[in-house]
Amino acid sequence: MESLLYSSSLQTPAFSSLFNKSLSTPTPILPLPHTHTAKSRFEPLSCTMSHSAEALTNPKETKLWGGRFEESVTDIVEKFTESISFDKQLYKHDIMGSKAHASMLAQQGLISLSERDSILKGLDEIERSIEAGEFVWRTDREDVHMNIEAALTDMVGEPAKKLHTARSRNDQVLTDFRLWCRDAIDRIVASIRNLQVALVKLALKNEGLIIPGYTHLQRAQPVLLQHLLLAFVEQLDRDAGRLTDCKARLNFSPLGACALAGTGLPIDRFMTSNALGFTAPMRNSIDAVSDRDFVLEFLSANSIIAVHLSRIGEEWVLWASEEFGFITPSDSVSTGSSIMPQKKNPDPMELVRGKSARVIGDLVTLLTLCKGLPLAYNRDLQEDKEPTFDSVKTVIGMLEVTAEFAQNITFNDERIRKALPAGYLDATTLADYLVKKGIPFRTSHDIVGRSVALCVSKNCQLQDLSLEDMRSLSPVFDNDVYEFLGVENAVKKFSSYGSTGLACVADQLGYWVSKLEINKS
Amino acid sequence: MNIEAALTDMVGEPAKKLHTARSRNDQVLTDFRLWCRDAIDRIVSSIRNLQVALVKLALNNEGLIIPGYTHLQRAQPVLLQHLLLAYVEQLDRDAGRLLDCKARLNFSPLGACALAGTGLPIDRFMTSNALGFTAPMRNSIDAVSDRDFVLEFLSANSIIAVHLSRIGEEWVLWASEEFGFITPSDSVSTGSSIMPQKKNPDPMELVRGKSARVIGDLLTLLTLCKGLPLAYNRDLQEDKEPTFDSVKTIIGMLEVSAEFAQNITFNCERIRKALPAGYLDATTLADYLVKKGIPFRTSHDIVGRAVALCVSKNCQLQDLSLEDLRKLSLVFDNDVYDFLGVENAVKKFSSYGSTGLACVADQLDYWVAKLEIKK
Repeated sequence: MESLLYSSSLQTPAFSSLFNKSLSTPTPILPLPHTHTAKSRFEPLSCTMSHSAEALTNPKETKLWGGRFEESVTDIVEKFTESISFDKQLYKHDIMGSKAHASMLAQQGLISLSERDSILKGLDEIERSIEAGEFVWRTDREDVHMNIEAALTDMVGEPAKKLHTARSRNDQVLTDFRLWCRDAIDRIVASIRNLQVALVKLALKNEGLIIPGYTHLQRAQPVLLQHLLLAFVEQLDRDAGRLTDCKARLNFSPLGACALAGTGLPIDRFMTSNALGFTAPMRNSIDAVSDRDFVLEFLSANSIIAVHLSRIGEEWVLWASEEFGFITPSDSVSTGSSIMPQKKNPDPMELVRGKSARVIGDLVTLLTLCKGLPLAYNRDLQEDKEPTFDSVKTVIGMLEVTAEFAQNITFNDERIRKALPAGYLDATTLADYLVKKGIPFRTSHDIVGRSVALCVSKNCQLQDLSLEDMRSLSPVFDNDVYEFLGVENAVKKFSSYGSTGLACVADQLGYWVSKLEINKS
Repeated sequence: MNIEAALTDMVGEPAKKLHTARSRNDQVLTDFRLWCRDAIDRIVSSIRNLQVALVKLALNNEGLIIPGYTHLQRAQPVLLQHLLLAYVEQLDRDAGRLLDCKARLNFSPLGACALAGTGLPIDRFMTSNALGFTAPMRNSIDAVSDRDFVLEFLSANSIIAVHLSRIGEEWVLWASEEFGFITPSDSVSTGSSIMPQKKNPDPMELVRGKSARVIGDLLTLLTLCKGLPLAYNRDLQEDKEPTFDSVKTIIGMLEVSAEFAQNITFNCERIRKALPAGYLDATTLADYLVKKGIPFRTSHDIVGRAVALCVSKNCQLQDLSLEDLRKLSLVFDNDVYDFLGVENAVKKFSSYGSTGLACVADQLDYWVAKLEIKK
């Protein structure tokens, strides 16, 4: 598919990954024994052999929870309910949590020191083998937790059977997932900072460039390009703040809540909480295992980021068009057409705009998932992971590509400047001139409106009107009016805090260069 | 325009000066931020009221043990108080989320005018202070174009709505004949126009159901804002109706849940009679074996087989003879019966945050103090 869409040979790495359809994980995925490769979210279920035929040829390992059960699950049920195909991404955090748990159990005398050591060594080896791509994930072992524990048991024997003392998969998975989300938030915030830096640097490179500011996509008032780019920087800053608040709110440990009610075994929840960098253990065990509100909050924050980026996408796609012609993206961030030889398309930003859809969809999936679920844990909740992984992966991709695009565009200064007079961008400044002379604003607005109408009829700019013409609309006009007319003059007249005035924008830039620690060199 | 025109009709010339150095772009966003700020206060107050109602319900039902569920299968026995406090915790995070949102939105757009600021010598800090904002917004284009505070607000509301929908689901189940945990009073129930016997927990069904529109309001805003170029576009006037609906609905859901909580009685006798079903003491029995040195996995397996035995004999774990138990593991001894039966099992919980008596009493003290409840 990739080769049909474009002809340019050089792409930047982040850009290429947009076209990579497979799920990316931190480590290479080993093909699973039953030709079970990493699935996309929308791959249909395929039927396998019937239950009895399967049982004859491939007797199933007894499940770790199989004590009271007299028969094993059917293949179709097993395939539908497995989560190992996606939750293996949690391996690192699962192992982290298990190590903390095992250390605590030893400290509390629930396992011996040598048992703890066997477990820790075994987990280290498992982690190594996963990262080396040697570990075999098994669907019949359902999920990442059971896979790792069973592998540990295969490896070290009896001590492994004590690992799950005073623990349930309910609190285990939520511990893993909170740790994973915490790290993911850090990665996203770092990407946000990178994009902010790229936008500020783009602003610094384009000092003094005036562009039309729009409302309703009609030319409104002249603004410094820098001022507009910094608007996006502000939005991204709030996005980072929202994620940081979320991280603080999620940073509480569920470990020790067990299935839902806690336990009578003498565990130390504060120890594991500290070991894993949580603020404190959660106060209520039922709350600890049942709530996914931290995921809802995380995906909401991601959705807001996505919407912000979709607006940047829209804007830059407009700017790249022939009609606007504000920017020329370099070949390294453009694509061609397989049929139209002249085409040079800003696809990366179109995809930034477009991928906001799936991020919003991921949030809606989670909201729908959680709605109306009774306490405490329900199997539905394993569906929380794939949307989260997708949301994180997509937002990071969008942030990275936007930063890369920002680093690879040139502004067509001359063309912008030539087209600037169109649109009467100095009209409001002219109204302010009259206000300064004592005319009520409503009246000024009206006078200038009639001036614009006059310009339209004469097909000229406001600055082209003679003083005589203007004085026929209001005797207040005087020779000094021409200092307010024309785009360059108009921009200079802005002075309010946060405006596009030269000094104000310079102040904003100073603030961001300092906050983002940008080396101006 | 309505207000400004009416003002002009009323006071004449001076009114024509009102809109000096102002655009409807920064005007509407100032209005809307102020409105949202107040709305957040009202919602947080309703959240506090619901928390108080739940804590009081807990205090009124001391000692009541109910089944705790996972997968809607009886899991382990919990104090009702413990479960109610789980909701109190969720609501507390909901309030925190709204307060973070309020802090983030509390910046003044006034003085950004259309999008670029102005050359007239205005004092943005004065209006910002006068309106109780933290400070004026740093960038005028950002100030008029962004609705991210609305997205954040409606996201927070959606999370509240999902929480309340779960309470709704739970209490509707509890009111059913099959569960029979609660009897709502007539004042929060409705009947059927055809079936004379019916007494339905409609308020909580609607709490559950109205979560849909709150989620829809958020989705409307996300869809609205997606792909809009800067700075202001007329689409954005569509931001208000979903917000008003979201706020109105959430406040209603919170108030009704509180009222419902104040008008239900727990059917203690019925709950107690049905408690033995479900082998709720199974995990506690596994812990007994762990305390005697058996690895947990092995304990889990042994108790699993004990449950299977009970199923075949149609009896409870505590009804098994010591001889039966010792066939499954020689580690079982006479002291095992201290761990069996629901009342005994509940007493065995001791970890921080568990359903143990002392732990729940601690939680209650925390909330009574924090919510300033007079016992």
